[in-house]
Amino acid sequence: MSRVQVAAVAAAVAGVVVSIYLTVLHYAGSPAACPVSGPVNCELVLTSPYAIVAATSIPTSVAGILWFALSALLWTRRVGWTQVAWSAIGMVVVLYLVFIEIVKLGAICLWCTVAHVLVLLIFLIAVTVGGRRQSAY
Amino acid sequence: MSVKRARPMRKPVSRTPVWVAPAAIVAAIAIVIAGFLVVRWYTTPLPPPLPTADATQQVVAEITSLPQSEFDTIGQGAANNLIKPVAGSLLTGPTGKPEVLYVGAEYCPYCAAERWPLIIALGRFGTFSGLQATTSSSTDVYPNTPTFTFRGATYTSQYIDFRAVETKDRNQSPLQSPTAAEEQLVNRYDTSNSIPFVDFANRYAFAGAMYSPDLLGGGTWQSIARDVQNPDAAQAKAIVGSANLITAAICKTTQDQPAAVCSGAAIQSLEQKL
Repeated sequence: MSRVQVAAVAAAVAGVVVSIYLTVLHYAGSPAACPVSGPVNCELVLTSPYAIVAATSIPTSVAGILWFALSALLWTRRVGWTQVAWSAIGMVVVLYLVFIEIVKLGAICLWCTVAHVLVLLIFLIAVTVGGRRQSAY
Repeated sequence: MSVKRARPMRKPVSRTPVWVAPAAIVAAIAIVIAGFLVVRWYTTPLPPPLPTADATQQVVAEITSLPQSEFDTIGQGAANNLIKPVAGSLLTGPTGKPEVLYVGAEYCPYCAAERWPLIIALGRFGTFSGLQATTSSSTDVYPNTPTFTFRGATYTSQYIDFRAVETKDRNQSPLQSPTAAEEQLVNRYDTSNSIPFVDFANRYAFAGAMYSPDLLGGGTWQSIARDVQNPDAAQAKAIVGSANLITAAICKTTQDQPAAVCSGAAIQSLEQKL
């Protein structure tokens, strides 16, 4: 694995850890280590109806675990458009979630933002490395 | 004689620097997020001007004198029944009557929404005085929701005692503290740690709002009072429906007294659901 792949895998593993933390909080009913007032308010975001995958009782963070885990797996393989497409899907979902946080809830969850930044990082690596390698063939 | 031919110049390949794509993506995302902030700014209602003390009393008088027919017509309406039975020794107030305990905060938009039906329901068993108009926090979800505060208000009733604790003001500064016994009740019955929390004499309790505060967004106290008096309005279905559920829970603790309130068809039907 190249250094870039190692960086992407590390980001994905960090994302899995953050998503597991948020999932445990959800099922334990415990508050996150995060401010609970003003624009930064994890509690408000994590207890909102948007913190659940639509029409289920599954927390959004479970989807995060799956996405990051598959990302880690993909980055151990040859780099190409697969990683670009997968990370683009993640990025679209992140933009939707940020829309919900800012426009609908008016609050930002710090831990969610950490996960969002990791998705962005993976997406940037994919676009930079994946797209370039593919076009060189 | 060999002529040394000049090596043909290779056309330079123009290659975009590696940082351009990521930089463009980050810039695009920053623009999108800025767009979200603009949308949020445009859709956030400004705090409505607070009504005068006289106008506030007029609004309270209007919403606490709704006709019986409206309660019967609306029934549960659009309210989400959050009330659950709880088991504990009967909670009584300073005068020995069953106590309704409210724990909330002035900044909290869900408390802002729930105070409307609470005032309507409690107004059927007694009389409020000194209620003041306020709005929920400007920086929380459902900002600037019009409501009242129980801070400084008094309530008298021959059927129940009412105790209200507003723990923080609309800027989240500490305000009032529950007693140790009240804290215990909250910890016992409000496992989700949500506010508002309402305990009906340790017979029933609920936490949260029975309808979305969004329904009050952009309204004034006067416009909401007008809507509450119209049984076809969405606000009436949510607020009066919630008030009926609260009334039914109170009637359960007062042995259906007063009969004029508790024997109504809607209340009797809702009592069966609790």
